[in-house]
Amino acid sequence: MQRASVPYFLILPSFLLTAAIILWPLKEIVSLSLHDVNRFGMLKDFIGLEHYRSLFANPDFIAATWRTLFWTAAVVIGTLIVSVPIALILNEDFYGRGIARILIMLPWAISLTMTAIVWRWALNGESGMLNSALRDLGIIDTNIQWLAEASTAFPMQILIGILVSVPFTVTIFLGGLSSVPEDLYEAAATEGAGRWDQFRLITLPLLKPFINIAFVLNTIYVFNSFPIIWATTQGGPANSTDILVTYLYKTAFRMGRLGEAAAVSLIMFAILIVFTILYVRLAMREEKQ
Amino acid sequence: METAAYNKGNKPLMTISRKLGLVAGLSLLAFSGGAFADTVRVTIAEYSKGTGPYFEEAAKAFEAANPDTKIQIEVVPWDSLQQKLTTDISAGANADLSIIGTRWLLDYVKEGIIAPLDENITPDFKARFIDTFLTPSVMDGKVYGLPIAASARAMYYNKDIFAKAGIDTPPATWADFKTSAEKIKALGTETYGFGLQGKEIETDVYFYYGLWANGGEIVKDGKSGLDSKAAIDTAKLYKSFIDGGLTQPGVTSYSREDVQNLFKQGKVATVITAPFLSGQIKTEAPNLNYGVAPIPAGPDGGKGTYGVTDSIVLFENSKNKEAAWKFLDFLFTTEQRTKFDKIEGFLPVNAEEAKDPYFADNADLKVFTSLLPDARFAPVIPGWEDIAQTTSGAIQKIYLGQGEIESTLKEAAAKINETLK
Repeated sequence: MQRASVPYFLILPSFLLTAAIILWPLKEIVSLSLHDVNRFGMLKDFIGLEHYRSLFANPDFIAATWRTLFWTAAVVIGTLIVSVPIALILNEDFYGRGIARILIMLPWAISLTMTAIVWRWALNGESGMLNSALRDLGIIDTNIQWLAEASTAFPMQILIGILVSVPFTVTIFLGGLSSVPEDLYEAAATEGAGRWDQFRLITLPLLKPFINIAFVLNTIYVFNSFPIIWATTQGGPANSTDILVTYLYKTAFRMGRLGEAAAVSLIMFAILIVFTILYVRLAMREEKQ
Repeated sequence: METAAYNKGNKPLMTISRKLGLVAGLSLLAFSGGAFADTVRVTIAEYSKGTGPYFEEAAKAFEAANPDTKIQIEVVPWDSLQQKLTTDISAGANADLSIIGTRWLLDYVKEGIIAPLDENITPDFKARFIDTFLTPSVMDGKVYGLPIAASARAMYYNKDIFAKAGIDTPPATWADFKTSAEKIKALGTETYGFGLQGKEIETDVYFYYGLWANGGEIVKDGKSGLDSKAAIDTAKLYKSFIDGGLTQPGVTSYSREDVQNLFKQGKVATVITAPFLSGQIKTEAPNLNYGVAPIPAGPDGGKGTYGVTDSIVLFENSKNKEAAWKFLDFLFTTEQRTKFDKIEGFLPVNAEEAKDPYFADNADLKVFTSLLPDARFAPVIPGWEDIAQTTSGAIQKIYLGQGEIESTLKEAAAKINETLK
């Protein structure tokens, strides 16, 4: 009896610390979302689920939710598709590999906000680098106003998202690749497996757990990622590039509707939790098989 | 108010745990700061590089005259001011004095956060101000803030481009303006007559210039003026500029700073903005041959410019109200105001100060001050930011051609009326 309680006793300090850091704010946000709250966070009347009801009746919020899911899926899947070949190439032994690795990792060293602001300049219609490069190459005759409409702005934002997520993902994959024993390939080669078969039957299965980790972590980061969209369009024009985080920020700090903003953040939290649990379960079931 | 409008790294909803950290940090400060009898904390919005140094210097000068009081200046970028104040106030850790956008004042006054200044304001003190600028911070007959920064809008035009197109004078009416813009387009040099803002903060304001000229109002008798004939005419007018190739292409990708930059580069012939652009041109594009003119008038002679003030306010929970007031009194002496407004390029709010040759003999500023009788301020109504956002969204749709003009404006007006209720 006493022995059984010792582990719980030992983790108690860390549990309390975690609770203070995570659970207590969570409780506060839940209570914000259920009250009429003024701009300064003072609670007024208890109004139950009214904030949630008005959110779900708001077409801008619904559109932002779908857009967030699309944004997350596009950036995460795009990143994985780009990162696997990059990691494979960087894992080969070739002259100048060190430099190539540094080049791929470099964007990671720059703060995301700075990257996004540089892109805002690059995408400027009249004086942006991208337009002048495309004009010099003879690809376009007239300037494209990249950030004027969602139809051009949002794809560019997704591309920027992929660009900044690649270094982290490649790092994970390189770690994974270095743990694949070299003799597996040698054995496969002597059995007559080509490079594609080697990749499909050896590399990919062994890389699977790393892809899973990259997938879950990237999903969480990208879903919550604020700087790219904020710095380039602030969710505009006319809310057409808003994702949930930018919507949340505007609701809280522009309009001062903290209660509604708290509700948005809880909805985001719920989406992420459900998604993560589902994914982890799927991945574990596969592993057992 | 008048700083680069894009945000640099604002964080989403500051978590409560961080707030806690702030409170803890500040209570430590409170313990260590006990050496002086009175410490007055002042939150300052950073308008330019000169803002912080100016206030530090003013604080030092004040401390020299009032050795019992210590002034502690906290400089915050304009973009994160609202967020900082919100967080500080909800944690009870706000400063004694703070700069705030006058258009936010109503929300603050409604919650009883701000102390009225009337008992300290003598007729002499009141007489220091130009009336126009003091009125926006008066609510229910009480003065809740003093105008620390004031500005209005006028049209900057590129004299060289106008001359090349054979036009001698800046446009007096919107109809003239369109003819001029067409002449400028006919030059075929990829320069555009009307620099039109279509993105981010104050997109709605750029629309109001035309609305006022056409005799419209943002809010009239408690109802949105966005579905009025004046608004529809304005939207059609602006859209005809866009469709005619008389504005820079892709207006919805240009924030106010972006349009100003196009003006400095000589790519647009006009931009409607605040006095501080003169200062920027002086350092960034000294060879630009420009003039400042009133915003064009409407067919019936209607005009209007946008007046903006920022207020400095005293918080109700301040423990050093008396010392804080003394500092305010000091800041609004003619000498201090002149120094500050020269650094920032704001309009003089102080009647004596306006007589200073720097302001009185400055050709650009003279135009701005002459417009003040027609200046409109953001209406003092709850939910102003909401209304601005809705308006911006609706006109962006129109600029993009994604919404039919009348129905888009009607829809937005209905939404605004809902907010106004």
